[in-house]
Amino acid sequence: MTEATMTIENKTGIHARPASIFVQTASKFKSKVQIKAKGKTVDAKSILMIMSMGLVKGTEITIIADGPDEGDAVKALQDLVESKFGEE
Amino acid sequence: MAEIVKGKGVIAGIAIGKIMLAGQNLDGYLMAYQPDGDLDAEKKKATDALDKVAEILQSNIEKLQADGGAEQAAIMEAHRMMVQDPMLAENINTQLDELHNAPKAVLAAAEDQAKQFEAMDNEYFAARAVDLRDVGKRIAKYLLGVKEPEIGDGAVILCGQEIEPSVIAGLPSDKIAGVILGAGSTTAHAVIIAKARAIPTVVGVGSAIEKIADGDAVILDGEKGDIVIRPSDEDRAGYAERIKKQAELKAYYEELAKLPTVTQDGVKVQLMANIGSPDDVDNANKYGAEGVGLFRSEFVFMGKQDIPTEDEQFKAYKEAVEKCNGNLCVIRTMDIGGDKPLPYLQIPPEENPFLGFRAVRISLKRHELFMPQLKAILRAGVFGKAAIMVPMVINVAEILAVKKLVEEAKVELAHEGKAYSDNVQIGIMVETPAAAVMTPVLAKYVDFFSIGTNDLVQYTLAVDRGNANISYLYNHFNPAVLRLIQLTIKSARENGIWAGMCGEMASDPYAAVILMAMGINELSMSAPSIPRVKEKLRAITSKRAEEILEVIMGLEDGDDVKAQLNKLI
Repeated sequence: MTEATMTIENKTGIHARPASIFVQTASKFKSKVQIKAKGKTVDAKSILMIMSMGLVKGTEITIIADGPDEGDAVKALQDLVESKFGEE
Repeated sequence: MAEIVKGKGVIAGIAIGKIMLAGQNLDGYLMAYQPDGDLDAEKKKATDALDKVAEILQSNIEKLQADGGAEQAAIMEAHRMMVQDPMLAENINTQLDELHNAPKAVLAAAEDQAKQFEAMDNEYFAARAVDLRDVGKRIAKYLLGVKEPEIGDGAVILCGQEIEPSVIAGLPSDKIAGVILGAGSTTAHAVIIAKARAIPTVVGVGSAIEKIADGDAVILDGEKGDIVIRPSDEDRAGYAERIKKQAELKAYYEELAKLPTVTQDGVKVQLMANIGSPDDVDNANKYGAEGVGLFRSEFVFMGKQDIPTEDEQFKAYKEAVEKCNGNLCVIRTMDIGGDKPLPYLQIPPEENPFLGFRAVRISLKRHELFMPQLKAILRAGVFGKAAIMVPMVINVAEILAVKKLVEEAKVELAHEGKAYSDNVQIGIMVETPAAAVMTPVLAKYVDFFSIGTNDLVQYTLAVDRGNANISYLYNHFNPAVLRLIQLTIKSARENGIWAGMCGEMASDPYAAVILMAMGINELSMSAPSIPRVKEKLRAITSKRAEEILEVIMGLEDGDDVKAQLNKLI
């Protein structure tokens, strides 16, 4: 299992377009990918679950992956969050 | 007397047409539906429907992308992801265990998820609840064999408490004259789609929407938010004039946008657009802009916590350059100073910011700011025709310093293995009297001049345009200003480089005529000004314009110039 913790820095948080990109990226990997925030852990391949978390700017999240490509998955998603989804 | 219902106008324009109520009632179909007695078979029907609907959405997305409907495509993409969401699938399965009916289970699951979103008490999530119900309905319709609404010959006005975005996105633009929503959300996807298509729209009508029936004739005013139900002939006459003018102007501008900017005797002037963000290029193209004469790169810097990275800037510039379709995209480097301070630049307040540490003066001192911008522009140049335009230049030394940094930027890019263009023009804004007077010399070092009249007028006449007591002195037809402009254009011509203008003067049709006579190559302005300027230039001969120029250059006073131009053109 690989995990990484980071803070959401982009203005809109993980809603709308960033949420779509996040899920698309997570879905590229075979590993089970989860996102943990505000004491809840949900499936990172579900746009509904991610949107229902209300991940606004400033929220601290942990990305957890478990499977054959877990390292790459965590890195790809971390890069995405840290690049602010290219939105600013 | 017709009844008028009021809402909030969100997309301007007058629409007239028959109401089509959107948001179909599926009750009848649901009653007629025969579920499979075998639960597993029913579950398989639901799973197959999810796959099939995702497939249909995917093909819609590809069509929209091919038609340039990127925004609508993004919304459909969100829907597709919802259809394929593991959480929704699980919810449908749970509902099926109880209901034994695929379409009912799908609707119940979508409703359940939508309610959770609504409970979050946030306008954004309330709007997503609409998307979810839309998705549920779409899947249910597929299972029930219900066709999506089809529209006949005439355009209709769609009306509903909430309208599924897919209904609007799925219909051709010319079949929707207007949109009325009972709900108040301006962030609804339906509204975003309507905006992208410039469909007059009124939202927030509330329960009064029940007064509007299917097939009713209505007039919709997307500016004021008025909806006139079953208008009388008198009502129609009242709006007819506005509709006629709106249509005529639109048709005229569309025609004009396709025509070249050329005088009666064949002199060409290139009309370009001033933009603040890459998205503005779409609008500029509609008005017939031939490229971008001024991309104010400040927007990339404003509203940020920190200095934007090279990649962030590259993305923005590349998008603008690509959207110019082979026409030139002139990117002005950071034009920031003490009057528009940015916290992360940490420039102390100044007593005289317009004569202070600003624009190129900052760029040349703060390489950590300037280099990423130069590199981003050079990289964007690979995707079309880009140019670097330097603001506030007063001497040769500044140009040489910028050019040296551009060469350094190229070396760095080559080392980093990043593709860049070697054909990016480097020009300056002529917006200080010093630069204008020195244009015969400066022309030897640059590829173009672009005259920034807002500052040139202000610095030449020593008039702060924001000061109401002296605003009568601010006049771009002041002879001192005109002589500097004429000298700048002449210097460019004599040295074989091009001269343009990107200040407000460029959008003045009278000014355009004399600038053309002076020999200007390009005028850049806010896109909606282009048709008026083009109209004026197409109506005159360069010979006549030169005669007028000769007259006005002989005048001693700026106000006389204005008066003469009004008389002569």
